[in-house]
Amino acid sequence: MGAAAFLPYIVVAMALVAAVQIGRRVALWRLGQSAKVDWLAGVKAMPKRYLVDVHHVVDRDKSASRMHVPVAGGLVLSGALLLLGLIPAVASSRLYWTIVTLAFAFMAVGVALVAQRRYPHALPRLSLGRYQRTPFYLAAFAGGGLLTSLLAALGDPLPFLSLLSLIVAAAGGLALAAQAATGPMRHALAGAAHLALHPRPERFDATLPKGRSTSLKPIDLDGDKLGREDPADFAWNRLLSFDACVQCGRCEAACPAFAAGQPLSPKHLIADLAAAGGGGYGSPYAGNPYPNARPTGSEIGLHHAVIGDGGIVHPDTIWSCTTCRACVEECPMMIEHVDSIIDLRRFQTLEMGAVPGKGADVLDNTRLADEPNGHPLSERTDFAGGLGLRTLAAGESTEVLLWLGQAAFDLRGQRTLRALIRLLNEAGVDFAVLGEAERDCGDLARRLGDEASFQQLAKANIEALASVGFERILTADPHALHSLRNEYSAFGGKFDVVHHTAFLNELVETGRLTTGHIAGHAITYHDPCYLGRYNGEFDAPRTLLDALGLERREMARSKRKSMCCGGGGGAPTTDIPGDNRIPDIRMGQVRETGAKTVAVACPQCTAMLEGVTGDRAEVKDIAELLLDAVEAGKSAKSRNKGMQRELELA
Amino acid sequence: MIANAEALLKPLTIKGMTIRNRVMSTSHAPSFGKDGKPQERYQLYHEEKAKGGIGLTMFGGSSSVSLDSPAAPWNQISVADDSVIPFFQQFSDRVHQHGAKLMIQLTHMGRRTKWDTENWFPVKSASVTREPASRSVSKELEQEEIDRIVRDFAQAARRAREGGLDGCEISAAHGHLVDQFWSQLSNHRTDKYGGSLENRMRFGIEVLTAMRESAGDDYIIGMRMSGDELLKGGLTAEDLIAIASEYASRGLVDFLNVVGGQARDHIAHAVSLPNMSFPVAPYLPIASAVKREVDIPIFHAQRVTDLATGARAVAEGHVDMIAMTRAHIADPHLIKKLTEGRADDIRQCVGYGYCIDRIYIGKDALCIQNAATGREATMPHVIEKADVKKRAVVVGGGVGGLEAARVLAERGHEVTLFEKTDKLGGQVLTAAKATWREALTGIPRWLVGQVQKLGVDIRLNTEADDAAIFALSPDIVIVATGGLPHLGEAMGSEHAISTWDVLEGKVEPSGTVLLYDEMGDHNAASTAEHLAKKGCLVELATHDRMIGEEIGGTNQPVHLRELYNLGVIQTPNMELIEIYPEGNRKIAALRNVMTHQEEERVVDYVVVDYGTHPVDQLHFALKEKSKNAGFVDNDAIVAGKPQPYETNGSGQRDGFTLYRVGDVLAGRNIHAAIYDALRLCKDL
Repeated sequence: MGAAAFLPYIVVAMALVAAVQIGRRVALWRLGQSAKVDWLAGVKAMPKRYLVDVHHVVDRDKSASRMHVPVAGGLVLSGALLLLGLIPAVASSRLYWTIVTLAFAFMAVGVALVAQRRYPHALPRLSLGRYQRTPFYLAAFAGGGLLTSLLAALGDPLPFLSLLSLIVAAAGGLALAAQAATGPMRHALAGAAHLALHPRPERFDATLPKGRSTSLKPIDLDGDKLGREDPADFAWNRLLSFDACVQCGRCEAACPAFAAGQPLSPKHLIADLAAAGGGGYGSPYAGNPYPNARPTGSEIGLHHAVIGDGGIVHPDTIWSCTTCRACVEECPMMIEHVDSIIDLRRFQTLEMGAVPGKGADVLDNTRLADEPNGHPLSERTDFAGGLGLRTLAAGESTEVLLWLGQAAFDLRGQRTLRALIRLLNEAGVDFAVLGEAERDCGDLARRLGDEASFQQLAKANIEALASVGFERILTADPHALHSLRNEYSAFGGKFDVVHHTAFLNELVETGRLTTGHIAGHAITYHDPCYLGRYNGEFDAPRTLLDALGLERREMARSKRKSMCCGGGGGAPTTDIPGDNRIPDIRMGQVRETGAKTVAVACPQCTAMLEGVTGDRAEVKDIAELLLDAVEAGKSAKSRNKGMQRELELA
Repeated sequence: MIANAEALLKPLTIKGMTIRNRVMSTSHAPSFGKDGKPQERYQLYHEEKAKGGIGLTMFGGSSSVSLDSPAAPWNQISVADDSVIPFFQQFSDRVHQHGAKLMIQLTHMGRRTKWDTENWFPVKSASVTREPASRSVSKELEQEEIDRIVRDFAQAARRAREGGLDGCEISAAHGHLVDQFWSQLSNHRTDKYGGSLENRMRFGIEVLTAMRESAGDDYIIGMRMSGDELLKGGLTAEDLIAIASEYASRGLVDFLNVVGGQARDHIAHAVSLPNMSFPVAPYLPIASAVKREVDIPIFHAQRVTDLATGARAVAEGHVDMIAMTRAHIADPHLIKKLTEGRADDIRQCVGYGYCIDRIYIGKDALCIQNAATGREATMPHVIEKADVKKRAVVVGGGVGGLEAARVLAERGHEVTLFEKTDKLGGQVLTAAKATWREALTGIPRWLVGQVQKLGVDIRLNTEADDAAIFALSPDIVIVATGGLPHLGEAMGSEHAISTWDVLEGKVEPSGTVLLYDEMGDHNAASTAEHLAKKGCLVELATHDRMIGEEIGGTNQPVHLRELYNLGVIQTPNMELIEIYPEGNRKIAALRNVMTHQEEERVVDYVVVDYGTHPVDQLHFALKEKSKNAGFVDNDAIVAGKPQPYETNGSGQRDGFTLYRVGDVLAGRNIHAAIYDALRLCKDL
């Protein structure tokens, strides 16, 4: 057997080294805040979460899934097989070594694929440094192991070569194990643990509506410290989640703020949060720097502020986020970047009062006037003068309660709402509004970290909604939809909330609205983040558009991968400067389709995309397009009738 | 987007009735009444504004409550009997379906009308006086007559209510009976209706009290009044604020519609209906002063031509509703365009005064630049797309050609526009060079903006010939090559220069100038002002009985005021018969058209205006090759139907149809050119 006999001991050594390393991280995680975790259910669900949920995401990049299956599978398989080799009877079987050889060969194929992603040129989103060196360790272990076990399978004809390859395998394997806590391999165990002990286990339950797992969790406003300041403020399984990051950079590639040159990369931020806890992870970050990186401190420690006071993250980084969830959607490790960003913002806002730009103004307005721009609530229905909009008094009822949202105060938003109201009237829908009793839904305040204002607004709105009768809430604002549908439930407000695209689609499908065709030019549809990624609604708007006879072209980034307009998360108010503007980039993607109109379904998207200067596609809400089609249908009908009459007269 | 738009778009609630926004049109007299009733034309005219998003449209300026206040001279509305009620009902349904509110103005005109019309009653007033504007001497009202007129007002208010109108106002402005009682210029009575202000206010109080009793306390009744008559001996701002406060505090009125000025004679009339020589919103401070003193909503009109000015007036709290009456004549879809984010598409009133000037000479109100206004039954404000896309060539970038290009492009056709010069706008640009007439440029500015937006292929500095036109293989060719000034028939006319030469700066006269005018329109008068301002000593002679005889009532007094102020000598009733040079100067021979006596002038320049003659060479070059020999089918165009050459068998033939619009046919005016183009092209 010769040298190969030592291979199992190498694996044991690797396991021991890795265990010591990981133990240091575990010890660190344990210093995080307590969290309610159902260990048993989590561990039970882990294989499914790995094989289904993780695989779904990984497989969106075929080169990654093709690489990961052999390299990880080969490593686990060969390691497990080698542990069997501790049994002398097994270790003396040439057949056994043949099998081990095959396992290493499988892994070696994977290693080749790993190397292909990094050499001669690494994919731009990947981190370099240790990550760039890892393929060598993997290659050493796989190659060394392969040769050693192959020679053993052949009856050890070249003992010196066996010894040499054993040394190579040992070097590679131990190198991997040695950085199990600080290097790329950390993702393996932390990732597995993260899957089992995930802070949002509901995201793995396919039977739950998407919005259930995308809602922000309330915090106790009576707590000693509001929001998260230093690493130790995070729950222990959040600290664990930071360690799960494999720095694949998919989040960064999807991040609109990164694309616009704002100082945010979700990958970098997660790496920073992992590093901020200390424990030997302060080594240089080898991914792309934050675009236009602001100067920061370098002080780390579990009890040292992450932001400010010498901390390693600049506040502009967290305020650049639009909360679009593209990063979360893309993360193969199921990390929840947005949760952490909001946690950090909550501390900045509630404890430091450090909201940048116009953010402070909108929060002041929200606190004082229940409305981010300080408009009197009584003016919310001003735009609907002459439309016969019914306002519900306490005790009155309607079938559909129309939630107007902030769009009611904005000339552009009013156009959409007027179109919607006219469609509802046309279809004979029994609907009404809350009028002055409708306060802001609180989305903006909450995303800016002002949890207190959000909770206050949520409670007041829930009370107002409880005072009237309705079956469903209808809104044209996906942000309001998300708050009312998913985030008010934490305060006892459980409502059936429908977005206007879905509702109008119902009206068309049930024949309550008859549409004509407004064919003639191509359109493309921009998915609002809070409707699509947050609430999983991708189909209704498209079905509706197709019913209008329009040629629908998809942007390269659409549906789940849609790119944010830049309007979420209060980003337009904090207005962190970058190289260009997110909506300009998005409009460029619209332009690539050649569509003359971009259909939207969110007042925020409308405002952002319409703010793009120069030659650009026309921005129209789906309600406006539908109204055009309904009116085109009517005038075609009256023309036909006119012709009919003339024929009869003739 | 304009600043303060939200202030304009905020609903206003008066006595429980909500007006959807703060933009309105005041009652005026477009002369659309028929048999004393607001019939289809009148209703469609206001319905268009309702469609266009207006909050409140008020109609029936000076609608008469009594038989001795005739409606006929204005083709206006008589509310003196119940037969008008069904028309009101039809009218209010028509406007309400678009979400707007509808109100009427009720009045007794007192002495401000004619006795030689309709029922041939003498005109009545507080006292025996004569108003220069109406030229009528009044009979003094006796108590029985006062009581009857008060009852007439009350009945009229009831009729307004029964007709479904959302409210009414009485007119106590511009010298109507109620304010004839207020003013000591027209009220010399010694009874309880005369003397002290308290007594002079009595008649109006009785009128409003009776109206309230008959129409119900919940019915909206307002009053149109001046906030300062701007007249020597007239009612002052203090008087009028006292009256406003008294009427408002008694709860007699629910709103006040405040104007500045009085209109008793020609210049006062021009001042009350400010034309383009006035700044925008000149009397807003007068309304604002009333607003400060009373607690009821204040409405105000008078040359508020753009939404930004209106929005400022409301946002700053000067008024509660801003009336943009003439602005809606130019573009009835103001609010719709604002709310649709198309404020740039608004056709802005330039203050030409064409609409109002026409009604004082017995014609219907039409807009100088929007030929669809007042013709809603036949002319569209929104052009429908054609079923078949055609290629069209328009030659000439004056307003007629621009309107043709605009309408054809709106129809969906592929349009090429040729313009010989480097600018679009044609003759209007020349006219706009004369002093206060510069706002005329607004007319082509809008048209140019529209044709650019619609993607018309505009070829400046390009004179179209048949080769260039045929190269485009057009289906339609519109020749809008306009006209050029004619120097007239006098002997030696080659020694004259035209008003165009002066305005375009081709000749810069100095010294003495004889300006001879055969047209009686703005051209000569404004050129005379232009020359006088440059330091020339100008004599303006004309064949007519007076200077600017063709110029309308709100514009002519402004010209005359300017001419007097500038020392221009006005010589009517003269014909230019000969010009000949003498040394460096010119001798102009004039003949008095009444006496045939001849006179001579020695001047440095003779400038003439004989109008334009067509520039039609291109038309005749194309005529034989066209399918229709270049003619418009008159029957079809009058009936508002498509041209037969476009639809019948000949339309299938190869080749093109050829049409002319504007002064290439014969020199007329801006409206004629635009109407030519609109009514033809809407069906092409």
